[in-house]
Amino acid sequence: MDIILLLMLLFPLAGAVLNAVSAGRLPRRLSGNVASMAVLGSLIMAIAGFILLGERTLVVSLVDWVSVENFSASFAFLYNPLAAIMALMVTFVSFLIHLYSVSFMREDKDYCRYFAYLNLFVFSMLVITLADNLLFFYLGWEGVGFCSYALIGFWYQDPEKAAAGRKAFVVTRIGDVAFGIAIALSFFLFGSLSLTYIYGHLGGLTQVSATVLGLLLLWGAMGKSAQLPLTVWLPDAMAGPTPVSALIHAATMVTAGAYLLIRLFPVVRLSPLALAAIAGVGALTTMYGSLSALGQRDIKKVLAYSTISQVGYMVLAVGAADIIGSMFHLLSHALFKSLLFMCAGYVIQALDDEHDIFRMGNLRRLLPHIYWPFLIGALCLSAFPMIGGFFSKDRILLATFLGPGIIYKVFWAMALLAAFLTPLYTFRMFFAVFQERPGGRSAEEIKPVPPFMAYILWPLAILAFCDGLLNLPFGPGKDWLARYFSVLAGAVVALPAPPGYELSMSVGSGAVILAVLLFTYVLYRPPGPKFSAPRLEAFLFEGLYLDKLYYSVFVVPYERLARFWWQTVDEGGIDRGLDGTAQLFAMLSRGLGYWATGRLSTYVKMLLVGLTVFFSALAVRWYLW
Amino acid sequence: MDLHFLLPVIVLLPLAASLTALATGREPRLCRWVSLTLAVVELALVILLFFLNLKPVAGPTGTWLMAVDYPWLPGVGAHFSLGLDGLSLMLIWLTAFVTVICILASWNAITEKVGSFHFFLLFLEGILMGLFLATDLLLFYLVWEFQLVPMFFLIGIWGHAKRLYASIKFMLFTFGGGLFMLLAVVALYILHGRQTGEYTFSLYQLAQTPLSPAVQGWLYAAFLLAFAIKIPLVPVHTWLPDVHTEAPTAGSVVLAGLLLKTGFYALFRFAFPLFPGAAGASMLLLVVLGLTGMFYAGWIALAQTDIKRLVAYSSIGHMGLMVVALGVWNVMTLSGSLLQLVNHGLSTSALFVMVGMLDERLDSRRFSDMGGLWQKMPVFGAFFLFFALSSLGLPGLNNFVGEILILIGAFQVRPVVGILAFVGVLLPVIYLLTMVQKSLFGEARKERRVWDVGPREILILVALALPVLFIGLHPGPILRLFESTLGHLMFQTPLLAQALGG
Amino acid sequence: MIVPYSHVLILASIIFILGAACAVARRNLIMILVGVEIMLNAAALVFISASLFWQKLPGQAFVIFLFAVAAAEVATGLALIVHIQRRTGSVISDDYNHMKG
Repeated sequence: MDIILLLMLLFPLAGAVLNAVSAGRLPRRLSGNVASMAVLGSLIMAIAGFILLGERTLVVSLVDWVSVENFSASFAFLYNPLAAIMALMVTFVSFLIHLYSVSFMREDKDYCRYFAYLNLFVFSMLVITLADNLLFFYLGWEGVGFCSYALIGFWYQDPEKAAAGRKAFVVTRIGDVAFGIAIALSFFLFGSLSLTYIYGHLGGLTQVSATVLGLLLLWGAMGKSAQLPLTVWLPDAMAGPTPVSALIHAATMVTAGAYLLIRLFPVVRLSPLALAAIAGVGALTTMYGSLSALGQRDIKKVLAYSTISQVGYMVLAVGAADIIGSMFHLLSHALFKSLLFMCAGYVIQALDDEHDIFRMGNLRRLLPHIYWPFLIGALCLSAFPMIGGFFSKDRILLATFLGPGIIYKVFWAMALLAAFLTPLYTFRMFFAVFQERPGGRSAEEIKPVPPFMAYILWPLAILAFCDGLLNLPFGPGKDWLARYFSVLAGAVVALPAPPGYELSMSVGSGAVILAVLLFTYVLYRPPGPKFSAPRLEAFLFEGLYLDKLYYSVFVVPYERLARFWWQTVDEGGIDRGLDGTAQLFAMLSRGLGYWATGRLSTYVKMLLVGLTVFFSALAVRWYLW
Repeated sequence: MDLHFLLPVIVLLPLAASLTALATGREPRLCRWVSLTLAVVELALVILLFFLNLKPVAGPTGTWLMAVDYPWLPGVGAHFSLGLDGLSLMLIWLTAFVTVICILASWNAITEKVGSFHFFLLFLEGILMGLFLATDLLLFYLVWEFQLVPMFFLIGIWGHAKRLYASIKFMLFTFGGGLFMLLAVVALYILHGRQTGEYTFSLYQLAQTPLSPAVQGWLYAAFLLAFAIKIPLVPVHTWLPDVHTEAPTAGSVVLAGLLLKTGFYALFRFAFPLFPGAAGASMLLLVVLGLTGMFYAGWIALAQTDIKRLVAYSSIGHMGLMVVALGVWNVMTLSGSLLQLVNHGLSTSALFVMVGMLDERLDSRRFSDMGGLWQKMPVFGAFFLFFALSSLGLPGLNNFVGEILILIGAFQVRPVVGILAFVGVLLPVIYLLTMVQKSLFGEARKERRVWDVGPREILILVALALPVLFIGLHPGPILRLFESTLGHLMFQTPLLAQALGG
Repeated sequence: MIVPYSHVLILASIIFILGAACAVARRNLIMILVGVEIMLNAAALVFISASLFWQKLPGQAFVIFLFAVAAAEVATGLALIVHIQRRTGSVISDDYNHMKG
């Protein structure tokens, strides 16, 4: 088993190194294929590992990394059902996206760099998935952060795109500060950074420590998962190539935050306050994401805000102490969101890099291959009854409703509202893109796109559609995923809902969703929406002005103060002060220089005076003594 | 076989090499090759020491892995005594390595007075070897002040526009501090002599002098001032940006990679063991100054328009973190800071080497003249990004190990300091990524003619990248080396242990 | 002694001060030399009176030395002054200020 896990990690790393070192000398096809094969190797290893693992928990320790006295960090794996499923998802989705990328980047000259980073990203994400030691986890964490930076800013010739990459890195790093402190605190509390050790030694943990640790981990997760208030990097991250958005900003990196919280759930669940905070953040973010998505025009930005909202659900689920629900939704979302992104990528390429949904239209007729995958994705996202995200979202809503105290009911209401807004923004986008409209696109404007890019999406579409089978609340395969995860500490297989609750909630939400779909259809029927509210639209478009707020409150003062410190304090103050001291000496020297007149009479006078003083002093001394 | 002669050879070989460089000065090509060969021989000798599997041995000058002691000025009690332990071993390796890098990096850049240039460079190497090995206070003072002489000439002759201002400023700052230190050394010498009747400059003997707190305070303050100027600590740091901007590439590399380390090293090796009580009392001051340096320099670095100045301020920030580690005084933070000595030496040298390469191509260090360089120089861009990432502490690369040890260690003992340090480590991310952004990304300017890195430059960069990666992933052997140093310092120096409560 | 010792000393110091004043206050090189001569003679006076007071002979012997030295010094000094005067055409000390600053 050790070999399997090691190979799972090393295949993508080798692929990355190969691509990096060959530095563009490999032909495009070979480079892409090497990278895809590497991930395929990982996928095979992940499948093998999953099958061989069963229901146990395995700890595999490799080399020691850093150790000083009683501090020790090593490259060690914690392979349990959670990690197994996550690894499966990561490798599978990555593999499909690699294949898709080979077509998508067919005209780009920098493919070697692209595939090197993409492989390195898969490696880092697998480190996060498998790591037992928190510092090793942090290695993967920062690794995905770096790859995200590099891939978002991939088309660096455009300084705005490069700036988007930097923004992502910096904002997530702000989250990582808290994660680092959490690691330090963990070492302080437990004397070890090994998750296995921590799981077994939770006895002496005080309420306060657990709360502080939980809150710190929440802040850390917020950065990577783009939760409020650190959401601002994700919409900008759409500057990267679409497969990158599909992989990093739909399926993997943004879910890493939720994954962190789930991995450390045994610690977090000891503090109700931390759980409530987590749930609060999740709930607020779902609302924020849904509202903002409603005002977007760029197809990728709609999906970006949608991701923010959906990851909010995952975080909310953790806060409601339902890690199974969170993981279930994580898996569903990975499938349908990456599907949606890749469909969007197809559309964007077909229309020669057009991102604005209101400049599309008629694409059902013009791009038939992509219509059905896109529709399936949209239905899953909207939680259409019986399909895809319906069961996972339902479970989360139920878990939230069952949470302790009135506050959870408030969170439930927010999440519910967001759930109703989801079909609205999703199908606003869908209709704008695909419906027949007089102002839509025409056949001459379509650029040829390799059909492979659409065909590769079908496995994903089918999986997303049938995703509910993983954890049906009824029928022969009932609660399969929940039972698989039951070995995890704190996992609740069946939510303690009074009978009938579940059914009534599902039926109720299903009905409302269908109603909203109908409403959206009516609203956005050609020739287009009949009302407009420009101020509201602008507010939603700008993401509730959060980005602008940060810019004026943090970025501008920071840069201004940097200049101030430099010019006024450092150069003006300290340096000028020291230069002034030097000037003082120069002045003193010049002052003394007046005595050196060069005239003999002056010197003779000075000699006389000096000698007189000297001898009289001697005489006085002698006389007195 | 008694290999003790290796130590004086390691100190004297570069001095001899410098003379040969001067002698071959008329033939620049010969001079460069001779200097390079001798520098590589020196590096080989130092690496040989690693393989000797030395163990700590107690002797008249203390507990060292290897020590020599020759009488020098018998009338005064000064000895030519050198002592090697894990810390000095790493630092002399760094010195030898960085010197080789400098010679390679200046291959095409220095075209006038080549003989004198290599003379000063190798002479400086010898002096630094002496500095990291000296265990006699007078010898130490001699090499401490003497390191200024070749630097003064290196900056003053081969530097940029305002080089004379920079070299004089450097000289005055450092020499001024050094004079106070001389005063303290002589005072200590006399006090020890009066008490024990034996007049000696040996570090080991002087460390056992019982001193009254007031006296100790003054002497320590003098030492601290001299070293604080060198490290540099805010507010006596203002010489560093000017000197870095005006120095030639090799000058900057040696300055950042080696000379800054001497200040920290001397604080650790001399100031703390000699004056444990006063040192213990100054911990809070060190922490405050270190944190100030981290935040202040890190903040200012963002506003820079000259890339070399930016890297100079980043040096101040990194050294600030190391001083915080010293102020917290915990095995983890001390291991981290000693490791950071090596790490920072490697990363910052690499950054300066690359900035030097940029200067060779663009004839400018201003960001406004850069932009879009990745397009024409992809290999250069990759290495530049690599070293920028190592400098901002990406896990898997060298700086991360040192930093995380310092951060976690600091948190264990003083949580507030730890938290502030964690936040402070965020700042390099911002300015280093901005540096990369402004230089590598964006639109390329068509009218400029730049060329990508050639074989010699790739050799330098790979040589620097390999230790960076190695230390990042496998720092174990080096941390082992420091264990004996720390054990000796923390627990066998009774006065220090007592002053800090063990 | 014919006159009290202190009287001679006072006389000698007056002469010395007069000589010093002359050397310091005058601009002409030759007058500076004259001042120096006067100071030497004052010193010689002190030597003689001391020799008389202490009834020891070396004091007077030293005065002979003094005369020899004074003569040599004046000779050299005058030679230099003549040489300088020929080169620059002035015997005013203030004109030789090349070491100014």
